[in-house]
Amino acid sequence: MIPGANPSILRVTWLWGLLIAATALSWAFGHGLGAGVDTRWSGTAVLVIAFLKARVVFLDFMELRHAPLSLRLALEAWTIAVASTLLVLYWRVA
Amino acid sequence: MNTRNELLCIWSAILFVVVFTLGLWPLAHFLPPHLPTAGAEEIAALYQGRTWQIRLGLFLMMGCSGLVCAFVAAITVAIKRMEKGAGILTYTQLSAGTCGAVFLIVPCLVWTAAAFRPDRSPELTLLLNDVGWIMLFMPFTTFVVQNIAIGLAVLGDSNTPTILPRWVGFFNLWVAVLFIPGGLLTFFKTGPFAWSGVFVYWVPLVVFLSWYLVMFVVLRQAAIKAGRAA
Amino acid sequence: MTHATNEPARHLPGEAGVWVFILGDLLMFAALFITFAYYRSNDVASFIESQHALNQRCGALNTIFMLTSSWCVAIAVQVARVGKTRAARRWLVGGMACAVCFVVVKIFEYQEKIAAGITLTSNDFFMYYYMLTGLHLMHVLLGLGVLIFLWRSLYAPVSHTSVRTLESGACFWHMVDLLWIVLFALLYMLR
Repeated sequence: MIPGANPSILRVTWLWGLLIAATALSWAFGHGLGAGVDTRWSGTAVLVIAFLKARVVFLDFMELRHAPLSLRLALEAWTIAVASTLLVLYWRVA
Repeated sequence: MNTRNELLCIWSAILFVVVFTLGLWPLAHFLPPHLPTAGAEEIAALYQGRTWQIRLGLFLMMGCSGLVCAFVAAITVAIKRMEKGAGILTYTQLSAGTCGAVFLIVPCLVWTAAAFRPDRSPELTLLLNDVGWIMLFMPFTTFVVQNIAIGLAVLGDSNTPTILPRWVGFFNLWVAVLFIPGGLLTFFKTGPFAWSGVFVYWVPLVVFLSWYLVMFVVLRQAAIKAGRAA
Repeated sequence: MTHATNEPARHLPGEAGVWVFILGDLLMFAALFITFAYYRSNDVASFIESQHALNQRCGALNTIFMLTSSWCVAIAVQVARVGKTRAARRWLVGGMACAVCFVVVKIFEYQEKIAAGITLTSNDFFMYYYMLTGLHLMHVLLGLGVLIFLWRSLYAPVSHTSVRTLESGACFWHMVDLLWIVLFALLYMLR
């Protein structure tokens, strides 16, 4: 057996199911869910869901959960920086 | 003796970057870029106002671009050490890199033609100015081929240790990707993909110049090591 | 370079150098996303108006293809580690099939837009739409090449080196997936 991070196939599979479900939820937010209050809250949900999905991809598909911390932190920082900048720009009134 | 000449070629990258930036920035004022939306009178005024600075800046930019050939030769020698057999990537890099040098020199000559008679019809100055910008920022193709050739050669290197660190290979492939949006300047006069935009001017220019610095550092180390081994 | 028999708790997936490319690419796309959001915030009404012309079903379908492809490749890495190269190759074929479906849907989508007279120069929104999805599509094609390369390399019995190569390629592919997830939200879903 070759060493390396080895979360089970089952785990990756249910995370895949979770990602598909998150896509469906994001679709719902994109099509009126939560728009009753302010459309921008559903937009915020869409963005937050996207970056949570991205996080699952790099933590469990790229297996950064088990990688040297610096690399994981680099991706976490990317996620936080990009997500927060996009949210600020999204809420900005020109 | 050989190593000394090799190092000379490698150092030419630094001279190129310094002189090119000097010509582009404080002299010609081509940094920040002219706007593709600027009218003929506006562009003509730039050439009339700073005629000799633009001439001198372009003279320096053109003059140092020949050094790129020497640097390309240094890369060629490094790739030759990596490749087994006929060395197809060695030749790809050599020819693409040489063509790349041409597309640094020719735009400077076109702009020089604009600065040569600054009092000619503004429409003609505008035309020459356009041609220069398009020639310098649109032809990504030779640079991309050169970077991919370097990338593949570094990653295919079976020497232990490898001639250049493997990350240099991935770095070159990444640079290749960054140059591609430049080709789309033909469609836009405003926004990030116009020749004055982030993804055509600023990112490629910074990456282009830093690429020389990165390649300088790793090639210099490789040349010194090869010189010691010989 | 050498793996100790007692593997440390932390394992770097793929070779170190590939992360130069992945992090660099993430940086470039971050700049593209932020530029898009900035121009959108200056002209929200027109961006939302143009967005109505997008085929959201195609976007969602492609998200499913991309996620599934990534999942297949993640499993391929896991089964290759325990030496099951044939199974790993099959999972990679699954990943490639999803990637091909992604490309087909994308081509259909582009063709639909062009038939409706919507091109790169129609307006700012569509400039970003074509540029972002086009650059991403270029990465998908590149990734498809990587998957084919990995699939071929798995004809040989696995070694530490070949698993590391597999991990490097897989991480690149997951990055392509990650970028699409953000693109889908930004271009297709955001109101």
